[in-house]
This record gives sequence, structure tokens and C-alpha cells, in this order.
Amino acid sequence: MENYLLDLERKSISLIREAKAQFRNLGCLWSTGKDSTATVWLCRKAFFGKVPFPVIHIDTGCKFPEIYEFRDRIAKEWDLDLIVARNGEALEKGMSPEKGKLDCCTQLKTEALRDLIKEKEFDALILAIRRDEHGIRAKERYFSPRDEEFHWRYKDQPAEMWDLYVKPSEDFSHMRVHPILHWTELDVWKYVKQEKLPINPLYFADYVKKAYGLENMRYRSLGCKPCTVPIASKAATIDEVVEELAITKIPERSGRAQDKEKAYMMQKLRSLGYM
Amino acid sequence: MIILGLDALDFSMIERCRCRNLMQTECGQTSLSGFQLERTVVLWASFLTGKNMESAIPVKTQWEFKLKPEETFFPVFKTYEAIDVPAFSLKEKQHAEERRLLKAYFDGEGTVEEYDAVVWKNHEENKKVFLDALGRFDMVMAYFDLADAIGHLSFGIPEKMDKVYKELEETAQEVKSSSNELVLVISDHGMKPVGRYGDHSRNGFYSANRKLGLNLPRITDFRQIIEGVAGNEPS
Repeated sequence: MENYLLDLERKSISLIREAKAQFRNLGCLWSTGKDSTATVWLCRKAFFGKVPFPVIHIDTGCKFPEIYEFRDRIAKEWDLDLIVARNGEALEKGMSPEKGKLDCCTQLKTEALRDLIKEKEFDALILAIRRDEHGIRAKERYFSPRDEEFHWRYKDQPAEMWDLYVKPSEDFSHMRVHPILHWTELDVWKYVKQEKLPINPLYFADYVKKAYGLENMRYRSLGCKPCTVPIASKAATIDEVVEELAITKIPERSGRAQDKEKAYMMQKLRSLGYM
Repeated sequence: MIILGLDALDFSMIERCRCRNLMQTECGQTSLSGFQLERTVVLWASFLTGKNMESAIPVKTQWEFKLKPEETFFPVFKTYEAIDVPAFSLKEKQHAEERRLLKAYFDGEGTVEEYDAVVWKNHEENKKVFLDALGRFDMVMAYFDLADAIGHLSFGIPEKMDKVYKELEETAQEVKSSSNELVLVISDHGMKPVGRYGDHSRNGFYSANRKLGLNLPRITDFRQIIEGVAGNEPS
């Protein structure tokens, strides 16, 4: 293994073990994308092959069929304690991106997760976010508390020096743990290659052409089908993806449909009580 | 005394638009230290009471929050008029309509133009009430949300914001020409651009038509000054 990948892995594994030791009821979110799959893999490595806590998939009902197939196959192969969370009430009422993308995300993702946390009494969740994904994520900490409304006080976070992290306290509803916060997109792909991890075929141009008839296109970030668009790319193998990422200047989440400024403003206005 | 409460009036915008009447004799920034978020209702309630009201006002029900007169500085004046003041005399229907249109825009069910039109209409209505009240009360306080409401969807569009600041500058000029009383112009917070949109910033603004000798005052400090003007000892 490349030395620097080994360093990244060591830090991530120690964070996962720290989280398991500190929290009574831990879970790990798994979208089945490359980051969360690598994170579940790290959880397996941290506990010698068996993930000792539930792995949670938030099902919005409108994901790519490849995501469901991948999820069920890997959950079986890796013997995961898989929990699939859905906001059944919103889905029954017909919530979909056509009714407002952000409302749809709030109801089908955020509220589904909030209900699950309450039901299963999770006090900490492992998430596969990375600092290089987006400006706001760059402000995250490895251990990041949330209140019941999922509010994150990003202006009031302790420094995490010398591997000292926030301890459980009464002041928050649950803790978010981010073991691959320090990784980049390129690191994840190199790790996928290094560890020979299974990967969703939607990341590769040859599959997207075969399955969807789209020439020289692939998905760089996986989300719900109506809100995710492919990027122009010929990369058909992990090596080609790595090669492409080494020189690209296009943001990773450019294929997601939400307008970032609009999304930011909506969330901000909501937190200020306007909406 | 006259208080012009201007939501999201931003100091750098005032300078850029050369709003001399808004800047008056003394002006500067206010400090929002001690506040986690720049919430409109919280900041105006804190201005009125002289206390940090953040923990007393929940986000979800903040627009219904109302102070009793005795909790504010208003009763120190023999007669007063509070026009559309958040946490006190807010015109709930107007603001609910603006918030509804704001949500409709983000849900893809409304346009910026529809929203802007209602905000401007409400502003004109409130301005008329305000100008009519001048000279008839010992204290008149009016709140205008024009800069905040238009700014949230259009702060990054200079032509639109210039028009907003020109209008507020003209309002300040009309106040100045009709009164020799102490005029305090104050905002709850400033605003910063997020692409075409605008987000609250922590740069609150104040100005007065006489020297108050303030240096980075907190929004909660003004109650004492206002009560001093009314000839009462600070409570």
C-alpha cells in the first residue's frame, strides 16, 4: 500500500474505533457511493472483518436501480446489519423532486434519518463526508455534534488538536463522526483500487453508455436519479478515473441538480425562521 | 424622538451609495457579540428591551412573539407610535405574505418579481403611515424590511440594491427635513452577497443626528440612550 494511503487509513480506523468506544449506539450511513462504501470497508477493517453496528441506507424511492442492486449484493457479501430508512408517509403522499427539490430532500432524506435516529436511539452516526467536497464541508470536524433539528453550530466548534475530540455530553442530540474527512476524491479512488473494493458501475462511461445510451458520460457523484446528471467523461476504468481526477478543475458535485447558492440561501433562511 | 429601524441596512452599501442622510452626524457599526444567529425578531426584541432575547425566542414561533409595552422603552414617552416593529407591533399579514412568496420562490412556484412587488407595496404603505405620524407623537419608531426582503433574493444585483438604498436615503431625508428631534437610524444586522442572493452579516449599523460618542455599541445598549432622551433615568 502507498505510504500516504496507509496513513489516511490508520487515522480513519482510529477515528472509527474511538467512536465505537465513546458511543453507546453507533450507526454508519451508507449511500452505496464510493466514499461511503470505502468507509464501510474501513469499519470492517477496524473490527477485523465484521462491522459491529448497523449500516443505514436512506431510501428516497427514486435512486438508480444499480444502487439498490449494489446495496443488497454488498450487504449480503459483507454480512452487514443493514437498516433501510424511508419516510413512508411522505412517499405515500407522493413527495418527489417535481414538488420542490429541497423540500423533497428534506422530507425523504433528513426527516427519514431524524425519525430513524429517534426510533433506534442512535447517539452517533458515521458519515463519509470529505473536506474537499464543498466549502461548507471544509469547516467540519471529525466529531461534530448536532441538535434535534440537525443544526450544526459551525461557528462554535472546538479545535481538534493532538487527536483530542469532542466528548459525549448533554448538549447535543447525536454526534456525527467523519472518519474520511481528511481524504480527497482522488485518495478514495486510489484506495478503491488499492483495496479492490466493489464499486457501482454508474461511475464508468462504458456502463453508462451500455445501460443508458449516453456516449462519453459517467456519474461522478451518485444521488437520486431525477437530481443527478452525468458528467462528460470517457473514463471506463478506475485507472482512467484516477488519471482524469488528477487534472480536472471541475467540482465533484457539479452533477447534482441543486443550485448551491439557492440551496444555501434556503437552508439559511430556514435556520433564521423565514421559511 | 424618531427611530428608523431598517432591517439589514449595511454600512458598506451606505458608503457605496453615498447615503449622507442615513449616515447623519455620527454613524458606525454595532456589535452583535453574544448572539449566535442574526435573527431579525430576536435582535429587534433585544433592541427594545435592552436584553439579549435569543434564548427566549424560539425559531419556529418567533414571528408570533410579542413583548408587552412595559418590557420595552416605549412607555417612558408620554405618547408613542410603533409602526410595524418586530416583536411588538408587527403587521403580521404583510410579513406572512412576504414569507409565503419567499418560500414559493424557493419551491419553484413563484418568481422574484412577484415577491419584489409585494415587498415594495408593503414598504410604500408603511412609509405613508410613518410620515403621517411624524410630529404627532413624542416618539415614533418605524421598521422597514425593504433592504432585507429585497436583499435576500437580490443582494448580488447592484442595480436593484441601489434602488433600495436610494429609497431609504430619501426616507431619511424626509425625516430630517421635517423634524429637529433626535433621529436614530438603526439596523439589526448587515448583509453580504451569496451569488445573486443575500445572507445576514454581523455588521449592524447605527447613526444619529447628534454626537452620541458611541464606539461599537451593542444593540442592547440603545435602550439606556433612548430612555435618557425621554428624560428618565435608565431602568
